[in-house]
Amino acid sequence: MEPQLSWYLALSAVLFTIGVTGVIIKRNIIAMFMCIELMLNAVNLTFVAFASFFQDVTGQLFVFIVMTVAAAEAAVGLGIIIAMFRNRETLDVDDASILKL
Amino acid sequence: MLAFLFILFAGMAVSCALAMVAQRNPLYSAISLIGVFVSLACLYIMLAAPFIAAVQVIVYAGAIMVLVVFVIMLLNVEHEERRAPRLKFLVPVAVVLAAVLIAEVAFILVTVRDFGAPVSNVGLTHSIGSSLFTIYLLPFEITSILLLMAMVGAMTLARRGGLLSANARVVPGSQQLPLSIVDPRAEPDDLRVVETDTTDEAARLLGVEGVRDQSKRD
Repeated sequence: MEPQLSWYLALSAVLFTIGVTGVIIKRNIIAMFMCIELMLNAVNLTFVAFASFFQDVTGQLFVFIVMTVAAAEAAVGLGIIIAMFRNRETLDVDDASILKL
Repeated sequence: MLAFLFILFAGMAVSCALAMVAQRNPLYSAISLIGVFVSLACLYIMLAAPFIAAVQVIVYAGAIMVLVVFVIMLLNVEHEERRAPRLKFLVPVAVVLAAVLIAEVAFILVTVRDFGAPVSNVGLTHSIGSSLFTIYLLPFEITSILLLMAMVGAMTLARRGGLLSANARVVPGSQQLPLSIVDPRAEPDDLRVVETDTTDEAARLLGVEGVRDQSKRD
């Protein structure tokens, strides 16, 4: 029995839901950041599955660009995390309730 | 067979994701997330996308997660005291497992020669590259601008201090400074030259002492 497209879509939905749950229940900003990465990967899985089942390379190119955006997000996000830790000595997002660093 | 592999890797991905959310230590979360990435790379290979799988392992599991682990260790978030190394009895098991892994890789490299023709050329590097540099050239260029912005933004955010560079005050001896070094707000072509011993003195002579005070906020 071959894996169907719907299997991959279901797996992607499950991973995305786990990521959303993590962003909601986590208080450590680095853990929230990693949950966002998990959500991006769930979307990537959807793209690759569609690209494979429709024999179209566009989805894989989109995944490539999403990965670049994730790398940029990692650089800026970790810079924000370091700046926040330097100014507040904590990584708890409940302590960072104003936009000022 | 493929269904079995799908269930295996999907189970690994979901269990690693659940472990990542359940962990309290961010370092263990990061390692679980690497497990998710590797499982997804295996699924990409099953979907005939070997290039994306390689990029997934290199960029995500390699670069991004190393950056995350680096920040976790730099900030030293979990304030736990160091404990003596546990699980010492597992060292021989680890050695045996490493030997088995090396034997497996050697077996594959020696015996398996023909990997078979790929079922389609959609996921290969050639088709992705030819699309990326022809019809999708504009997104590619926009992505490069995005990376440049991210680089500048990360340096601006992570930098200590303010407008003056940290080296400005430690240059010894008498020096002639154009105004733009002392006052970042000055026009670059303002070539009024002052001769001073320190940057503070130059700032006082040029009447831009407020700049120095701004740089001390932090």
